[in-house]
Amino acid sequence: FEWSDLEPVPQDDGPNPVVKIAYSEKFTDVFDYFRALLKNDEKSERAFTLTAEAIELNAANYTVWHYRRVLLQALEKDLRQEMRYITAIIEEQPKNYQVWHHRRMVVEWLSDPSEELEFIADILSQDAKNYHAWQHRQWVIQEYKLWDSELEFVERLLEEDVRNNSAWNQRHFVISHTTGYSDPAILDREVQYCLCQIRKAPHNESVWNYLKGILQDRGLSSHPGLLERVLELKETQCSPYLLAFLVDSYEDALETNNTRATLNQAQEVCALLAQVKDTIRREYWLFLGRSLESKYGPTAAPQSDAASSDAADQQELS
Amino acid sequence: EEEFEQIDFLKDRHVRFFQRSLQVLPERYSSLETTRLTIVFFALSGLDVLDALHVIDKDNMIEWIYSLQVLPTEDESNMQRCGFRGSSHIGLPYSSKGPGMAHPYDSGHIAMTYTGLASLLLLGDDLSRVNKRACLTGLKALQLEDGSFYAVPEGSENDMRFIYCAACICYMLDDWSGMDIHKAIEYIRRSMSYDNGIGQGAGLESHGGSTFCAVASLRLMGRLEETLSERELDRIRRWCIMRQQTGFHGRPNKPVDTCYSFWVGATLELLDVFQYTNYEKNRNYILSTQDRLVGGFAKWPDSHPDPLHAYFGLCGLSLLGEPELMKVHPALNVTQRAFQHLQQLQQAWRDNVSSCT
Repeated sequence: FEWSDLEPVPQDDGPNPVVKIAYSEKFTDVFDYFRALLKNDEKSERAFTLTAEAIELNAANYTVWHYRRVLLQALEKDLRQEMRYITAIIEEQPKNYQVWHHRRMVVEWLSDPSEELEFIADILSQDAKNYHAWQHRQWVIQEYKLWDSELEFVERLLEEDVRNNSAWNQRHFVISHTTGYSDPAILDREVQYCLCQIRKAPHNESVWNYLKGILQDRGLSSHPGLLERVLELKETQCSPYLLAFLVDSYEDALETNNTRATLNQAQEVCALLAQVKDTIRREYWLFLGRSLESKYGPTAAPQSDAASSDAADQQELS
Repeated sequence: EEEFEQIDFLKDRHVRFFQRSLQVLPERYSSLETTRLTIVFFALSGLDVLDALHVIDKDNMIEWIYSLQVLPTEDESNMQRCGFRGSSHIGLPYSSKGPGMAHPYDSGHIAMTYTGLASLLLLGDDLSRVNKRACLTGLKALQLEDGSFYAVPEGSENDMRFIYCAACICYMLDDWSGMDIHKAIEYIRRSMSYDNGIGQGAGLESHGGSTFCAVASLRLMGRLEETLSERELDRIRRWCIMRQQTGFHGRPNKPVDTCYSFWVGATLELLDVFQYTNYEKNRNYILSTQDRLVGGFAKWPDSHPDPLHAYFGLCGLSLLGEPELMKVHPALNVTQRAFQHLQQLQQAWRDNVSSCT
């Protein structure tokens, strides 16, 4: 390309530049010419080619990406080729915001999400928790209604790593947007799935967060038999998360039936957490114990033993 | 022979680290070009936390920051693009006073407007050269229907980070006309996850960074207690407090990282429960990521320090009451001293308004 007609535009930081980056001659040249094109808003093949050079030097420069998109449209460039281009760049720099935004724009222009799930799966195979990748995946699935095989994908990832919190989040995303959790069969299926994963890998905050998450608005103590299963698991597959679930279950029970017995059970678990099972959060569990006491203690229905229930009956009669 | 971890805080090294950050950086930092103003903020606010702003030339710094303001052109046709730039990368000639120069691609960036204003503030500037009306017009133009914000008027990704930037801008300028608070609050609520943390947007995985942005924004708006019930607040407290492993991580089952000692620590402080965390383990972790030779902090031990982790490592220590450090305002993310300067400024603005009417 011929560049001699263009006057390069240098950066000007004034007399006292701050956080100045020392660029090589090559870097400076590319961007000095880029700035010249930008100023004239030149729409040409040489401008398009230069954006690729600028991107290679600094893929985080959002102005270069925007200008490239302007050129893609003005010059009616081949968007399929652009998809190949952006695929390669994201593989090299999967934690850059601009490249994912660019891909989203190209997918939208093409109205073609057909490569997305496979591409994102590949990125996730290199880093299963890449937030950009999951964000792009959720956008594609929701925008183009590609729900059908996502639960299967989630289960595959959870088989690879049952502690992948991003995968658990995706599980919730898929189910809440498809079947939902209102159907008791679905809810029970999910509860059983969780209990199964807990038996395999008990020390896993993600599974307990998911279990609590799908039940908490209905009431943790509302799912029949769950409390008993958790108490069983407490013996062989205990964890701070199990115990926290227990405290929360007791608190949920207290909301509808405030008894000293239940309050004591909650306090016992708080004490166990503070003293033995989750000592890093000792002060928090003690605080929680105090909060429970002050919230439920004063109005708790008294302990149900012979002496106190006789006294209660006497009171009622008079 | 056991190697003991050294846990002494090397204040002077960190002062020098930030001083060097403000000078010349090698080419390998080129990806930071468009965000240089945020690096300036980390260094200046870092020096402020270290009570060492005296080592820099404040007036020069203030001039350079003002040169990044995108001011209205004579005909005001670019009002919706006003704010602050991240750097001179567009190539306009240096100018620290108006009027704005017309350029097809010159516009502000929401995070640069936020860090530009915060930097001016902590340098003791009175913001009198900020075109507030232009900044707020530019800000309003960035808000989407769903309540979240773009970073730039040309379009970009949108998420909780930019809601926080918008809230800080409105808070500092004492003018909420720059955003639709109700829509922003709705976006925040929709971003609450099933696990009680807050993600970058609806359906997304809860994360320490976005949880901070959401809670701090609500606090700045003065809407924290009215938006979230006591039960919801308790649930967020629990999610946040479970992030402590030694230091803090940003998501369940992820490794700890120094910067979360601030993102999660500050959120816990805003929710009045930071006092129940384990200070010793948190402090020991942050100091294990200290670079004893070069200064600064890294995300992990034996990794390279950078201005972001250096700044948030210090803020994490400040929350813990580290003796040589200034206190940090957990919502606005500047020193309490800078915050008080802002309050005085805003009082003067209100006095001026009432004396004119």
